[in-house]
Amino acid sequence: MAAAAALRCSLLLLRAGARAAPGGGSLRLSSGRAARGDINKPVIDRILRVDHAGEFGANRIYAGQMAVLGRSSVGPLIQQMWNQEKDHLKKFNELMVAYRVRPTVLLPFWNVAGFVLGAGSALLGKKGAMACTVAVEESISEHYNNQIRTLIEEDPEKYKELLQVIKQFRDDEQEHHDIGLEHDAEAAPAYSVLKTAIQLGCKVAIFLSERI
Amino acid sequence: MAAAGGLRSAGWRLWRGRAVVRCQQYPPLRALQASAALRRASDEHRKEPLGSSTQQHFDSPPDGHQPEQKPQGPHPSYTGQGGQESEDYESEEQLQHRILTAALEFVPEHGWTAEAIAEGAKTLGLSVAAAGLFHSDGSELILHFVSECNTKLSELLRKEQKLVQLGEAEKKPLDEFLRDAVEARLRMLIPYIEKWPQALSVLLLPRNIPSSLNLLTSMIDDIWHYAGDQSTDFNWYTRRAVLTGIYNTTELVMMQDSSPGFEDTWRFLENRVADAMTMSNTASQVQSTGEAVVQGLMGAAVTIKNLAGLNQRR
Repeated sequence: MAAAAALRCSLLLLRAGARAAPGGGSLRLSSGRAARGDINKPVIDRILRVDHAGEFGANRIYAGQMAVLGRSSVGPLIQQMWNQEKDHLKKFNELMVAYRVRPTVLLPFWNVAGFVLGAGSALLGKKGAMACTVAVEESISEHYNNQIRTLIEEDPEKYKELLQVIKQFRDDEQEHHDIGLEHDAEAAPAYSVLKTAIQLGCKVAIFLSERI
Repeated sequence: MAAAGGLRSAGWRLWRGRAVVRCQQYPPLRALQASAALRRASDEHRKEPLGSSTQQHFDSPPDGHQPEQKPQGPHPSYTGQGGQESEDYESEEQLQHRILTAALEFVPEHGWTAEAIAEGAKTLGLSVAAAGLFHSDGSELILHFVSECNTKLSELLRKEQKLVQLGEAEKKPLDEFLRDAVEARLRMLIPYIEKWPQALSVLLLPRNIPSSLNLLTSMIDDIWHYAGDQSTDFNWYTRRAVLTGIYNTTELVMMQDSSPGFEDTWRFLENRVADAMTMSNTASQVQSTGEAVVQGLMGAAVTIKNLAGLNQRR
């Protein structure tokens, strides 16, 4: 009874990914799968899972935009931003394997949804595509900032490498955001409605990817 | 004398209190008291100190939150302020761990029951009332056993990986690796094979499903990790699902197997792994064929557009 209660409670802790989880968040009945030392596995799991999903989605958004606007004047610009996102994705793939993190089960869904969003916004014209970029990149930058705060609160020394990566990527996304603004994103049709809707979608995506 | 009295009253409290326990919180006070009482009693009867481990700290935060309970008795073995005191001290969890480990040797005879746990407690010099610390259906014992097996498997795989890294062993092809890992894990069941069906049914109780599922998934994840799986897309799920299926079906076959040395089971396992390999090969062939077909169609479309003169920019 006592052990069962202890089991269930430690399992619940692990599943909730509680930030207050004790160092290492060790599961009592473990099969010994600590990837590295005494990191806070639930928190790192979440962070990497959602970041990986985010970069994957961003990749697909740019792919969708290229499919429509690839041969227009903003084509090279979108291609360049897309290449940077590809690099980000590659980095997160490596980190996922290193930390033995489970990818989100919604990946096939983000695959399609991202492409549709990219293509859809591009069909609204170049400004529409830029507006989409601005909305998404703003969302992602804010999200990365939150993660940086979380990691710094945990232990800046332990997570130095990860912090560096996230900071770098946050700067890249911010740059994309600025590029979008430079290219008349705000002149897009129904800009504020579009932006709000896309950012809401991003929030939902982030929430789900962290957990599932 | 007084300790024996203390034990008796603790025992009574245990037997009466069992029905009242609700598993909604961390190790209840009562269990802590009970184990304290048991330990005092055992100190009386045994020569060597409790536990060869000299760990002196609480394992988990909740234990630390419990105020140290010391029922009246003439021989307190610790001074109750956070566990740094007596060398004999161990946490609740460690005690349970040792009882369960000791109980395993009685499982072939008594099954996964409180009797086995009681016998195990006896060999440690504890009272049979120690079985009251656990559920009567042996859930904790089974989960403990599964967890131990998984840990052993991880160790085994880690050692093998080290050998390969040092160049002292050949890297196995994937199907052989999976086959060997599952076989090694299933072989750990052999001493308990008679009573294992009972254990399986207990593991399927709704109360136990979260824990048993967790143990199963982390074992499968371990095997794939050491097999060198680096997928970060949906394949991650597919592979684990396939291997879980292989493991579960092979386990069931093993229950029914009466061939010498379980050869039928290993042959079944080999066939299932081969099936999985074929399936994945077929899947990738289908995918590349599909891609080729799409390319072909795109090429055909472009050709037609050219022929019809639709491709010229004006």
